[in-house]
Amino acid sequence: MSDSVPPAPSAATASAVPTPSGAPPTIEVRDLRKTFYDESRGEVHAVDGISFACDRGEVFGLLGANGAGKTTTLRMLSTVLRPSGGSAWVMGHEVAAEPEAVRRSLGFYSASTALYPRLTARETLEFFARINRYPPERVPERVEELVERFGIGEYQHARVEKLSSGMKQKVSIARTIAHDPPVLIFDEPTVGLDVLNALEMVRVVRRLRDEGKTVLFSSHIMSEVEKLCDRIGIIHRGRLLALGTLEELRERTGRHYLEDVFVHYVTREEGVDVAELGATGELEAGA
Amino acid sequence: MLNRADVWTLYRRELRSAFRERTIVVNSILMPIFLYPVLLWVMFTAQTYIQGLNEGFTSRIALVDPVPADHASVLDSLRGREGVRLRGDPEEETPTGPPDILIESEALALLRSGAVDAVVGFRPPEGAGSTLPGNFRVQVRFDGTESRSERARDRVESVLAGYRDTWVQREAERLGMGVEDRVRFLVDVESVSTSREMGTMILGQMLSFFLIIMVALGCFVPSVDTTAGERERSTWETLMTVAASRASVVTAKYLYVATLGIAAGVLNVTAVFLSVGAVLRPLLQGSGEEITFSIPLAAVPVMLAGAVALALFFSAAMMLLASFARSFKDGQALVQPVYWLVFLPLLLGQQTDRTLTPAIASVPVANVSMMIRDAINGVFLWPLIAWTLVVTLATVALALTGARFALRFEDFLLGSFDGSFWRFVRDRISRRRRTDHTTEAGR
Repeated sequence: MSDSVPPAPSAATASAVPTPSGAPPTIEVRDLRKTFYDESRGEVHAVDGISFACDRGEVFGLLGANGAGKTTTLRMLSTVLRPSGGSAWVMGHEVAAEPEAVRRSLGFYSASTALYPRLTARETLEFFARINRYPPERVPERVEELVERFGIGEYQHARVEKLSSGMKQKVSIARTIAHDPPVLIFDEPTVGLDVLNALEMVRVVRRLRDEGKTVLFSSHIMSEVEKLCDRIGIIHRGRLLALGTLEELRERTGRHYLEDVFVHYVTREEGVDVAELGATGELEAGA
Repeated sequence: MLNRADVWTLYRRELRSAFRERTIVVNSILMPIFLYPVLLWVMFTAQTYIQGLNEGFTSRIALVDPVPADHASVLDSLRGREGVRLRGDPEEETPTGPPDILIESEALALLRSGAVDAVVGFRPPEGAGSTLPGNFRVQVRFDGTESRSERARDRVESVLAGYRDTWVQREAERLGMGVEDRVRFLVDVESVSTSREMGTMILGQMLSFFLIIMVALGCFVPSVDTTAGERERSTWETLMTVAASRASVVTAKYLYVATLGIAAGVLNVTAVFLSVGAVLRPLLQGSGEEITFSIPLAAVPVMLAGAVALALFFSAAMMLLASFARSFKDGQALVQPVYWLVFLPLLLGQQTDRTLTPAIASVPVANVSMMIRDAINGVFLWPLIAWTLVVTLATVALALTGARFALRFEDFLLGSFDGSFWRFVRDRISRRRRTDHTTEAGR
C-alpha cells in the first residue's frame, strides 16, 4: 500500500520524541496513559505515561513481564483501545482523532487476533486486503503475491478451520500484511508456537524490516528481543524504564545479557533484590 | 463514518461464513423450508390415523334394564350399529338371544374399571311424557375422562335418536299427521363462506403465525454467532483492527442478521403456502369439504413489509443481548427469552374474531401478526397498516438506540464487560461509576 514517509508534523503534533535517524517518526507515542476500572482493584493504571518513537525500517521491541502494559500500549496504537491520556501517532495520524487512517496504515498481529475459520486461506487474504483499502483492482494480484511469498498455494482453497497451526500462522501473517501497511505491530507473536514456527516468525519479521517496514514487537522472551530488535524499550507496571539499543542498555547498566539488563531496571524500580522478585513470581521473563 | 463499500465487503464475508456453518443453514434455511410443512403433514396424518383407530374401536355397552316390550327393535338397532357390542352377546356370531342384564352397581363398577364403555338403562318416562302410551326414558352413563367411553355414548345416542325419529314418524302417520303438522318449522343452516374464503382463513391463521416465528428463529443463531461467536473464536479483536469504522462493522452485522431473518420468514411462508394444499386437501376432502388455498396479490407486499420490520426489530434486540456474552452458549441463553417472549403478543394477534384495531396496531409483534392475517383474508386497513409499521419501526429505533448507547462503552465493545445486561444498564444509566471503562469507543 504505502511505505511512504509520514506527513510532516503540524504545529500541534510536532514531534517531541526524537528518532535515531532524525526523520519524522512512523510511530510516535507521547505520554500515553490508560486507566481501567477493576471491581476488586479499583482504578488500574495499565499504561502510565509512556513515550517513544520509531523509525522507518526499524524493529522496536517492547520488553516486559506479563501484565507490564505491553498489550494495552499496542492496543491503543492499533486503536482497539482509546487512550485515557497522552496521545500517539501512526504515520502522522493521531490514534483518537483518525482511527481509520491509523488502522489503514498498520497491520496488527497477536495471539488474540484469530482468523475466520469458515473462510478459505485465499478468501481470508482477499477480505483483509479489501477491508483495509488496498486498491480493489490490485487485490487479486496482491493475493497471488502473498500466496507465493508464504508458500500457501497448496492449501489456499482449504478452509482455515482445516489447517494445521503452522499453516494458520502463515495465513495469519499474510493477512496482517495483506494491505501492505508501512507499520506492523506484533504482540507476543511467538506465544503458543513450536520452535520451528517461532523461528519462522523471527525470519518474517527480519524480512519485513529489510523491506523498510516499521515493526513494533512485544515479547517477554529475552532471546527473541535480543536477536530481532534494533532498539528496546523496557516496560514495567505501565512505565517505560529504559529505552535504547542493546549496546546502549549494556553500557548504561554494565550488564552483558539482556536478562540481566532487564532485571537491573526492574529491581531498581521496585527497590527489591532479584531473589525477592523471584520469590514473588512477579516476573516471568523467560529466556 | 459509514462506508458503503466496507459494509458490503463485511456483509458478504458474514454471509459467506454463515452459509458454511451447519447450525445457521439448518436453523435459518432448512428448518423454515421443511420443518413446518413436514410438521403439518405429520400432525394431520397422525390426527387422521388416530381418528381411524377410534373408529375401529368396538364400544362395549352394558344394559341394566331389559328393553321395553313395545320397543324390542331398539335392541336390533343397537346390535345393527357397527362398532357396538352388548355385553353378553357372542363376539363372532350374530346374537339372537337377549343380552345380559346387569345389576346397576355391578355395571357402574365395570364402567369405572374400563371393562365396559357405557351403561344403558331403560326407565319409565317422567313428567308430561309419562302420559304417552309406550313412552320410555333412556339413561346413558359414560366416563367423561375416557375418549373411548365418550365415543360409546355418541354411538348409543345416535342409534336411539334414529330409533326415536322413526317411532315418532310411525306414530304420527298412524294418527294421520303429516310432516308439516309434526314439524312446525325447520332450521336450515348454511355457511356463506366460499371455499376460497375458508382457505384464506386457514392460511391467515397459519402463515401469520409461522412467518413471525420463523423470522425470529432466522435471526436467532446468526445474532449469537456474529457477536458472542466472534468473541469465542477470537476473531472480534481481528475485526476491531481492520480499517473499516465501527459503524460499518456493526451495520454489516446487523444487515446480515436481518437478511437471514427475512430469508427464513419468506422461505417458510412460501414452503407452507405451496405445501398446505397438498397436505390439507386430501384430509378435508375426506370430511366432504372443498377448500381452495390462495392469497390476494396485494397481501404479498404487506407480508414482506411485516417480515422486514420484524427482522430489523429482532436483529437489533437479539444482537444487543448476545453482545453481552463471551461464548456462543452464553449468547444462546441470553437471547432465548426474546424468542419465547415473541409468543405472548403473537397469541394476542391470533384472535379469530377481529381485525386490526388501533389498540392491537400499537402492540409490537401482535400488530404485524394481525396485519398479515387481515391481508391474507383480503382486509386492508391502510391507516392501521401504516400505524403498525410506524410502531414496529419505532421499536427498531429504540433497540438501535440501546445498541448505540452500549457501543459507546469500550468494555462492552471489546467484550471485557463481565456482567449481565441488567447490571450494565443499572451501572451505566445510574452513572454510579465514572471511570475510564465508560470511555466512548464508538469509532
